Amino acid sequence: MRIGIVCPYSFDVPGGVQNHVMDLAEALIGLGHEVSVLAPADEDSPLPPYVVPAGRAVPLPYNGSVARIAFGPVSTARVRRWITRGDFDVLHVHEPLTPSLSMLAVLCARGPVVATFHTAMTRSRVLSAAQGVLQILLERITARIAVSALARKVQVEHMDGGAVEIPNGVAVAKFAGVEPLPGWPGECGPGTGGTLGFLGRFTEPRKGFPILRDAFVALAPHRPGLRLLVAGPGDPDDLYGQFPAELRDRVSFLGRVSEADKPRMLRSLHLYVAPNTGGESFGMILTEALAAGTTVVASDLDAFRRVLDGGRAGQLFPTGDAAALRTALAELLDDADRRAALTACGEQVVASFDWPVVARRVVEVYAAAIEATDGRVMDQEWVGLG
Amino acid sequence: MPGMWWVVGTVLAVGLVAAYLIWTAGRVERLQARAESATRALDAHLLRRAAAAAVLAERRYGVELYAAARIALDAVPEEREAAENDLTRQLRAVELDPDDPAGEAVIAASRRLALARQVHTDLVRDARAARGRPLVRLFRMGRRHDWPQYFDIDDPTVTTRADVTTG
Repeated sequence: MRIGIVCPYSFDVPGGVQNHVMDLAEALIGLGHEVSVLAPADEDSPLPPYVVPAGRAVPLPYNGSVARIAFGPVSTARVRRWITRGDFDVLHVHEPLTPSLSMLAVLCARGPVVATFHTAMTRSRVLSAAQGVLQILLERITARIAVSALARKVQVEHMDGGAVEIPNGVAVAKFAGVEPLPGWPGECGPGTGGTLGFLGRFTEPRKGFPILRDAFVALAPHRPGLRLLVAGPGDPDDLYGQFPAELRDRVSFLGRVSEADKPRMLRSLHLYVAPNTGGESFGMILTEALAAGTTVVASDLDAFRRVLDGGRAGQLFPTGDAAALRTALAELLDDADRRAALTACGEQVVASFDWPVVARRVVEVYAAAIEATDGRVMDQEWVGLG
Repeated sequence: MPGMWWVVGTVLAVGLVAAYLIWTAGRVERLQARAESATRALDAHLLRRAAAAAVLAERRYGVELYAAARIALDAVPEEREAAENDLTRQLRAVELDPDDPAGEAVIAASRRLALARQVHTDLVRDARAARGRPLVRLFRMGRRHDWPQYFDIDDPTVTTRADVTTG
C-alpha cells in the first residue's frame, strides 16, 4: 500500500504527535508498506529518509501553547505537489483541525483520507470561528481514529461523528533489555531497600505526586535503603522542599529525561508509581513501564485499570489514598515473586500495544477507508473554501 | 454611466451565485457517491462475516449459529438489521478461538465489519446533512439518488481473550 502521512508539527522540536508519526511510519515500513511523511522542517535538518520536508515552520500561539506549523500559499503548493507525486492509496493526516499541513492536505485531497485525533480539543478557535469550514473539512475525511477514549468522546459529542479508538503504540523493543542507570536500582529484600519511581510534572495536582510523597515519607523510616527516583520538568528546590530534611538524601531528581533515557530510567526502578488523581485518558507511561519490565503500582482510574487489565498486570490502589499506597508498596517490595508475576503478565499486556500490532489495526482502517471511497488519493483544485 | 455599473454588478452577483450553486451541487454529488460506495462496502463485509460464521458453524458450533448465519445471508432488506444483530449475539455467545483458522476468520471479519459500519454511518450522516440543506432542497440537487439510509446494527465486535486489554 502507498501511504502518505501528514504531520502538522515540525520535527525540529520533540513532541507526542511527532513521535507517534515517526513510530507509526517505521512500523508501517516494517510491515512492507511504502510510506512518505510530509512535515514542516528545514530543508537541511537531519530527517529520516521517509520524511519530506515542507519548509520552515513558523511558531504560532495556538490553543494556549506555541505550535510550530506551516500554512500559506507556499505550503499549499508543496502539499499539492507531494500529493500528486506520491500517488497514494490512502492519505493519513494527524490533527487535521490544527491550521497546518494536515488541514491543507485534507482540503487538497480527494479520495480516502484517514484522520487521527490526538488531543481532546473541545474549544479550538477554528471550531468556534468557522462552523462551515469545519464541516467542509470533516466531510472530506473518510475514517477517523482517536488515540484515547477521551479524544473519541470529543469526536462523538462535539463533532457529530464516530471514531475508531486505536491506542498509542509503544516501541517495546526500545524499552526491553536496555541497561539501567549506573548504580540503580540497587538492593531490594524483605524489609529493606527498594527503588520507587515517578516520571512527570510533580507540581501538577492531577499527577498526584503528593500522594506518593506521603506514602514514601511514611514508609521510609521503617524501611532502610528505600529510595525515590523522580524525573520530569520542574525546579529541584520545589521537589526537595516537600520532604523532611533527614529523607532528602534518599530522593534523587533527574530533571527532564530525553526519549532515549526514559527506558533506562524506567529500568532503574523496582516499582513505578502512578498516583494520578484523574484526567488521564490513556496512561502511555504505564505501557512504557510495562514494556521496560518494571512493576507498576497505579491509582484505580478507569484508564489505568484498562491498561493494567483490571489489576492482573499491575497493582491498583484506591485513588488518592496514601495509606493504601504505602501498604501496597511495602507488600510488593517484600514480595519478589509477586513482582515477577505482575511483570510477566505486563509483558503479555504490552504486546497488544506494540507498534507492529497497533500499525496493523491502523492498516485495517486504511482498508475500510479505501473500500468506502473506491478511488485513489488525488490532487484536486482547491475550490470553494467556505 | 450608472446604468453600466448596474449591469456589471448584476452579472457579477449572478456569476457568484451560479458558482456557489455549481460547487454545492458537486459537493452533494460527491457526498452522495461516497455514501453509496460505503453502503456497497458495508454490504460486502456483512456477507463476508456471515459466510465466515457459516463455515465456522459447520465445523464446530452447530445448528443455531449456522441458522443465524444463513438467515443473515438470505434476509430481505427490511429484516436484515435484525438478522445481523441476531448473528452478532450468536457469535458473542460462543467462545471464539483465535488460534483456530475458522475462528480467526470470524474475528477478523467482525473487526472489519465494525470499521465498515463506523465509516458508513459517518458518510451517510454527512450525505444526509448536505442533502437536508435548504438550498439543496430548493434546487432538488441529488434528486436522482435515493436518500442515503443508515444501517442501524449493534457494534459487531466480538471480544476474545487477547482483546480484553485493548478494550
